[in-house]
Amino acid sequence: MFGQGLTQQNKTAQRVLLYIGERWSAFFLLLMLVVFSLGAPNFFAFKNFTNILYFSTTYALLAAGETFVIITGGIDLSVGFVMGFVNVSSAIIMRNLHAAGHPEAVSMLIGAAVGLALGVIPGLINGLLVARLRVPPFIATLGMYGIANGVALNLCEGFPIYFLPPRAREIGNGFLAYLVPGKGFSFFHRPQNLDAGDLRALTGILPTTVIVTVVILIIFAFILGRTKFGRHTYAIGGSMDAAIRAGINVPGHLVRIYIISSMFAAVAGVLYVFRAGIGNFTTMSSSYELFAIASVVIGGASLMGGKGTIGGTVIGILILMTLQTGLNITGIPSFYRYIATGLILITAVVIDQLTPERRTISA
Amino acid sequence: MPDAPLGGNVKNSGRIGLWLGRNWVLLFLLLEVVAFSALGTRFLTLENIQNIFVACTVVLLLGMGETFVIITGGIDLSVGFVMGFGAVICAKFMVILQAAGLPQGASIPLAALICLLIGLIPGWVNGTLVARLKVPPFLATFGMYGIAYGFSEIISKNTPISGLPHAAGVIGNEYLLYIVPQKMVSFLVRPQNITRLEMRSMLAIIPIIVVIAFIFVGVFSFLLRRTRFGRHTYAIGGSMDSALRAGVNVTAHLTIIYMISSFFASLSGVLYVLKYVTGRADAGSARMLDAVVAVVIGGASLYGGTGTVKGTIIGALIIATLETGMVNLSIPYHNRYIVIGGILVFAVVIDQFFPELIGRRD
Repeated sequence: MFGQGLTQQNKTAQRVLLYIGERWSAFFLLLMLVVFSLGAPNFFAFKNFTNILYFSTTYALLAAGETFVIITGGIDLSVGFVMGFVNVSSAIIMRNLHAAGHPEAVSMLIGAAVGLALGVIPGLINGLLVARLRVPPFIATLGMYGIANGVALNLCEGFPIYFLPPRAREIGNGFLAYLVPGKGFSFFHRPQNLDAGDLRALTGILPTTVIVTVVILIIFAFILGRTKFGRHTYAIGGSMDAAIRAGINVPGHLVRIYIISSMFAAVAGVLYVFRAGIGNFTTMSSSYELFAIASVVIGGASLMGGKGTIGGTVIGILILMTLQTGLNITGIPSFYRYIATGLILITAVVIDQLTPERRTISA
Repeated sequence: MPDAPLGGNVKNSGRIGLWLGRNWVLLFLLLEVVAFSALGTRFLTLENIQNIFVACTVVLLLGMGETFVIITGGIDLSVGFVMGFGAVICAKFMVILQAAGLPQGASIPLAALICLLIGLIPGWVNGTLVARLKVPPFLATFGMYGIAYGFSEIISKNTPISGLPHAAGVIGNEYLLYIVPQKMVSFLVRPQNITRLEMRSMLAIIPIIVVIAFIFVGVFSFLLRRTRFGRHTYAIGGSMDSALRAGVNVTAHLTIIYMISSFFASLSGVLYVLKYVTGRADAGSARMLDAVVAVVIGGASLYGGTGTVKGTIIGALIIATLETGMVNLSIPYHNRYIVIGGILVFAVVIDQFFPELIGRRD
C-alpha cells in the first residue's frame, strides 16, 4: 500500500487519481455524453436518449448474466447464440399457435413461456460441464456457442420467422406513457385520432422493453449485492478453495450461475421477438458475446473473478451504446464501433492491470 | 508430452486401452470416413478426398497458428476476423495494383506479400499486449477480434471486394497435375484441346492451395519439433517461471508466437482470395471455433505445454471430413456447428478425466 513517507499533497493527488481510476468508466461515459452533445447535432435530444436505452436492453441483459459468470471467475461465450436459439424457438411457437387460430394473447404467452423454459437447458448443460465435469468455462461455453447456433439455424432453416401475432410488435415497441405536448398524455395506449402535427410531436416516454429490463436488472443487482447468494458468488470468485472450506455448495452454485446467464440470454431473446416482431437467429459476426464481455470488464470486473457489479456493467453497456449512437449520428460508419469496443476493452484491462489492487470484493 | 513413458507394468489390455485413449481422435476420423463411405454416394473417390483436403486448408492453417499459441498456454480468439482482414487487404491490394497497371503475374504475388506483412500487425499488437502489458490472452485477442472485424468492414465498405485479376482464381482452383488417361500428363496447366469424353475422364490431382498450405505447415512443424524455438515454446507453456529462469526471453518469444498466429490467419485470408476471387470481412468469422476445436481435439491442453502439429492436422481433417460428408448426405450445413461444439466438449471431458490416457503427466 502506498502513502507511507509521502507528503500530504502527494497523498491527496494520489487519492484523487485513485478515485478517478476506480470510477474511470463513469467519468468516461460522462465525457462521451458531453463530447457528443457538443459535437453532434441532434444528439442531445430526449428521443435520442430513449433510443440509447432502447438499443441497450438486449446487450444489458446479456451482460448482466455475464457479470454473474465473470464474478465466479468463469466466462460464458454462448450468450449471443443462446439468445438466438430462444428467439427462434419462441417465435416459431408464437407463429404456429397464431396460425392455428389461437388468440394472440395465448400464443404470445405460451411462446414466451416456452422460450424462457428452453433457456434453462443451455445454462444447465454449461453449468454441469463446468461444475461437475470440470471443463474450462471457456471451452464448455464455446461448445455451447456452436451447438446453440446450430440448433437455432436448424429450427429456422436460416430464415427469419414472420407472421407472428401483430400485437407482439405493438407490445414490444410500446411506451409506458405517450405525451402530446400541450394536449395531454396517456398511459400504455397510443392516443387515437391525432392529426399529423400532433403525431409528429407525439413523444413516447420509457419503452416497455426498457422497463422490463430495468426491473430485472434491479432485482438481480439486489440478489448480487444484498443476499447470501450474491455473497457466495463473490466468495467463489475470490477463492474457490476458501468457498469450499466455508461450506458453500460450489458445484450447485456454479450450475445456478450458468443457468442465470442463459436465462438472461433467453429473456433478451424473447424481448427481441417482441421488439422486432419477427424471429431471427444470431449471425456469426454479430459478436454479442464481445459486447457483453467488454461491458462487464469495462464495468470493473476482473476475469480472475471476485470483482464486478451490475451497476458497473450497465455503465459499460451505456458507454458502448452511447458510442454507437453518437457515431451513427455523426455519420461515421457503424463498423467503427467494433474497433472502438475492442480498444476500450483492451484499455479497460490495461488500466485494471496498471492500477494497484485496492479491493478484491465489492458489492 | 504425447510419448511420455508411463511406467513399466502396464497390462496388455491396459495397453490397448491406452492406445485407444491416446488415439481416439484418429479412430474417430476413421469412423467418420467409414460411416460416410457406407452412407453416402461416391464418398471415397479421388475427387471427394481432394475436396476434403481443400476444405481442411482454412481450419488447418488457422489451427496451426492456434497450436503455437495454445502450447504456450494462451488462446487467440482473433484468428477468424484476422483472416477476414487478410482477405480484404489482399483483395483490395490486388485491385489497386491492377488499376496501377501491373501485370497479373506481379500484382497477385505482391498483394499477397503486402497482405502477409500487414497481417503481422494484429499479431504484434496481441503479443505486445499479452507479453508486455500482461493482458490475459483471452481478452487481448478478443479486443483484436472486434478491431480486426471493424477495420475489414470499413476497408471493404461492407461489400465483398470484386474486380480482382482473373489469374487469382486460376491459382486457387487449379491442380498440380492433370492426367488424361492414355494420352497425356500435364503439370499445372489444364490441358487444352481435348474432347469432352477425355475431359470427363481427366484426373486432376493435388489442388495447388493444398500444396501451399502444407508447405507452410511443414516448415512450421519443423520449427516446432526440431528447433530451439519449438523447445522454448513448449517450455513456456509447461511453466513460464522455469522458462524465465532457464533464460528464455519469454516476452519476445510470446510476441513472435502471436505474430505466427496472425501470419497463418492472413495466409488463410490470401488463400480465400485465391479460391473465391473476392475479399470479404466475414471470410473467417465462423472459423475461430473450428480452429480451436481442431487444436483441442488434436490433443493440446488449454493449460499449455502440450500439442502437436500432427494432432492439429487430424483435428482439421475430422472437421473437413464432417463438412464434406454432410454435404454428400445433403444434411443441412448448420448441423456442423452442433457436431463440432459437441466434439469440442467431448474432447475436453476426455482430457480432464483421463489425463494419463492423453499422456499428460500432471
